[in-house]
Amino acid sequence: MTWLAVMGVLSSAIFSGVSLLYATLGEVVGQRSGVVNLGLEGVMLVGAAAGFAATVITGNPSLGIVVAMLAGGLMNLVLGYLVINRGANQLASGLALMFFGFGLSALIGKPYVGTRAASIPRIALPGTAYLPQRIASLFSFDLLIYLAVPVALLVWWLLYRTRWGLALRATGESVAAVYASGRDPGAIRYQALFVAGMLAGLGSAHLAIAYAMSWTEHMTGGRGFIAVALVIFSGWHPVRAIYGALLFSGAVAFQLLLQSAGVPVSPFLLDTIPFLLTILVLAVSGGGRRHLAPAGLGRLYSGRE
Amino acid sequence: MSKGRCVLVLMALLTAASAFGADPAPTRVVGALYGGPITDAGYNQAMHEAVMAIKTTVPGVKIIEAENVPDEAGATRTMENMIQQGATLIFATAFNHQYPALALSKKYPKVIFEHAGGWEMGPNFANYFGKPPDGWYMMGVAAGLMSKTGKLGFVAAFPMGWTCTFVNAFHLGAQSVNPAITTVVAYTFNWGDRAKEADTTNALINQGVDVITMHVDSPATVLTTAESRGAWSIGYQSLAAQQFAPKYWISGTGFTLGGKVSWLAKTVVDGTWKPIFLRTGFDDGGMAVAPFGPNVPQSVKDRVQQTRDKIVSGAIVAFKGPIVDQSGTVRVAAGAVLGDNAMASVDWFAKGVIGSPK
Amino acid sequence: MRAAAESRRSPALAARIRSGLSRYLVMIAVTLALFAIVLLVSGSDLAASFRGLFRSSFGSLYGLSEVVVAMIPLLLTALAVALPWRVSLINVGGEGQLYIGAAAATWGALSFPGLPPVVLLPLMMLLGFAGGVLWALVPALLRAAGTVNETITTLLLNSVAPKIAGFLIFAFWHSPMDTVKTANFVPAARLPAFFGSRIHLGIIMGGALLAAFWAFMKWTRWGLEMRAIGGNPEAARRAGIPVRRLLLLSLCAGGGVAGLAGMAQVSGFYGVLLLNFSNGLGFMGFLICWMAGGQPLGIVLMSFVVAVILAGGDVLQLTSNLPFAVINILLAGTLFVVLARPTLFGRQKS
Repeated sequence: MTWLAVMGVLSSAIFSGVSLLYATLGEVVGQRSGVVNLGLEGVMLVGAAAGFAATVITGNPSLGIVVAMLAGGLMNLVLGYLVINRGANQLASGLALMFFGFGLSALIGKPYVGTRAASIPRIALPGTAYLPQRIASLFSFDLLIYLAVPVALLVWWLLYRTRWGLALRATGESVAAVYASGRDPGAIRYQALFVAGMLAGLGSAHLAIAYAMSWTEHMTGGRGFIAVALVIFSGWHPVRAIYGALLFSGAVAFQLLLQSAGVPVSPFLLDTIPFLLTILVLAVSGGGRRHLAPAGLGRLYSGRE
Repeated sequence: MSKGRCVLVLMALLTAASAFGADPAPTRVVGALYGGPITDAGYNQAMHEAVMAIKTTVPGVKIIEAENVPDEAGATRTMENMIQQGATLIFATAFNHQYPALALSKKYPKVIFEHAGGWEMGPNFANYFGKPPDGWYMMGVAAGLMSKTGKLGFVAAFPMGWTCTFVNAFHLGAQSVNPAITTVVAYTFNWGDRAKEADTTNALINQGVDVITMHVDSPATVLTTAESRGAWSIGYQSLAAQQFAPKYWISGTGFTLGGKVSWLAKTVVDGTWKPIFLRTGFDDGGMAVAPFGPNVPQSVKDRVQQTRDKIVSGAIVAFKGPIVDQSGTVRVAAGAVLGDNAMASVDWFAKGVIGSPK
Repeated sequence: MRAAAESRRSPALAARIRSGLSRYLVMIAVTLALFAIVLLVSGSDLAASFRGLFRSSFGSLYGLSEVVVAMIPLLLTALAVALPWRVSLINVGGEGQLYIGAAAATWGALSFPGLPPVVLLPLMMLLGFAGGVLWALVPALLRAAGTVNETITTLLLNSVAPKIAGFLIFAFWHSPMDTVKTANFVPAARLPAFFGSRIHLGIIMGGALLAAFWAFMKWTRWGLEMRAIGGNPEAARRAGIPVRRLLLLSLCAGGGVAGLAGMAQVSGFYGVLLLNFSNGLGFMGFLICWMAGGQPLGIVLMSFVVAVILAGGDVLQLTSNLPFAVINILLAGTLFVVLARPTLFGRQKS
């Protein structure tokens, strides 16, 4: 196992995991306000398709990223309308949103399958310039990767150090209390969902524009579902989400390392490890974790809301 | 309930309108189905372009296409739909369309089915393909000459017969110019998972590989990823691939089956069609070598050209024995040649290939 | 006296049937309207597309049979959601349970090719059911212990199951010529088809199970107990109903039914275990169950509607150059309307 290979796993985990991290951060915000978004996969796909399409049309990848964020935010507003205004069941609404995202993204993206688009530039990590190109190119990250941890910290700050965040978390704990304090929990949830959607769009923009640099149907490969689980895994805490996302994508990268080193373990089985690990962690710390959950989510999960 | 009633009336009107709509006048209808999207700059695009060439030989033809038909059950339904729309010639271009097409050929003896890459034959069923292994051998020669680390990388979708054949041909070609060369094979287990392809390419490069090639539907992501890491790349499936790796592109091979496919269509229209096992290669225009990249030295280009000429003349045969597999067993005896039929069911890798053939 | 009572009952019954039917007709109309909108927006030929849709589903016997074929797994996956729903459990794990059931049935088919169909097919059904139960067991246990909610665990296991199926295919069950599937099942392992179409025995399985479900919920003690739990679990527990046990059993039974759907697909439809063969069947079952309000007859109707939409997707490609995935917009749109305006469909707002 060479140094290059080990560094390679880390680099791959970062490249692949950034989109997962952004999506998880978005879902943290949403769930903290008491809304679970099972349709995150669909939201991410629409973000990716819209962002990629915008990049091809305008030739400007930064504009594509912005469009992706807006698209994600708008998709989440649909969920908001159903859940907040119409009082519909969150899980069913989320799944409906997922189907909607599958179809809408395919429609938007169809003319752009196989098209080449401009990508955002990659900047070498300071201090790696003197390394041989093969290693240096491992640590040549694009802007969205460099922004990932700062954004996670920003989300933390928003949730725990601002009045908006306080109101948001209060909405997740008890809608009645927020009403009583004179604020509108519906408006707060809308805002939370829009922010969550924008973060999801940011993640999918990275996937389509910066990493895979293309569009295909279903290209998010389940990241939306993984994010929903990672939120619980990280205890609804934005900074811990970083570890969750890294761990998860690191496990996937590790599988590829083993394959290309000629180790005869089935890649399918290795690919299941991250999921099983997540379930294990949840099962072991399940009771304790429930205390961390926003109280409003509990009613949701017992099927009565 | 008046709202609902209005909606119901609308529905009834629509149904009535549809039922009474007249069909346009019948023209020659040709159907084509693809396993993936036709703009993938890869296999499906090459197949699509070949089918589009029919417009030059059959004026007034109507071509109906269905993309993303990867599995057999969907293929059956799609072909039935096409026949209902009047198709009399169907091109089934994905590997696993073969048996559904064969079954339907028995059900509809008046419709002609052409399958790409298979081996079955019937009174109204035939197949056509290029000769990719020859191209792979040539590309292996180029890769072997360009590689400085002596390690080549192959991103493959699935362990299957044709993939193993391509890997072997590539490796044998490289071995002919550098006996110590190794080829590492890694699978994405998907014909078009772009993120996985990027990951896999990176993983191979991290193992010290400096020339990358692939057998997935679209070479685009593998090429852009290799380009971003400064690794050489060789394309496959479609000549449109070069745009993705402007600097580190070596060359590639692609299907240029347009001539043969349009000829087949013409024979159907003329009524002279006969089921033949059509294989076309570099000698008669069915496959082509892509232009070389800007950083390929002239000596390499000459060597590849020499190899091409020797293959066309028969002086070099890619799979001439003795060929030994990874565990040392002799798979092709000295003096023997691996047959075309056997190529689709190869389940071994030649010695010097790292990876699992199953 | 009796005559009076009967005449009082029948108008109420007739009215109920009429309102139920019109509810579904409205849903169908909504779907058609959405279809038209999508076509208009993408600039397709409306008339040709509708013609293609109707002709491919109702215009020929073959088309209609294909719709029924597509219905079969939907009936089962919808039931897989409906059963646990009665005790307020949300089973979104149908997708995963489907795969494991299919894999288990495949093992049976490939390991015992010499058995006569009369023995092999029931064995495969049993294996399929067991596979689905197995996959629902861990989430059920965790839920019953109050540790992790079953929504999350079933969702995660959905992603694991196809990978396990893939592992089994490539490690044990495939040959180089088979690409991404196993060897073909022997004829004895295939659910028999009827009338020369592709409609297979799975339709009887689906219909029978739905009927059994209806009877079970209406007339057995367990059905009553389940409804009590669904209404108010605390009160049910105080009344001595074994809540935890029934929760476990319901989720596992739901999983088993989804496993049967997997078995029906590999044995009846494909004849092989194909990698990633399900394009959201489990989730569509959830959607159907929701739209039907968990009622067996509604499930049959909505499965039919969804199957027609799926058949339409195939034709969409040929007539209007739209990708198949666009039909997801139709499915989603219909569910959106049901969720946003439940009163239109005779349902209480949740």
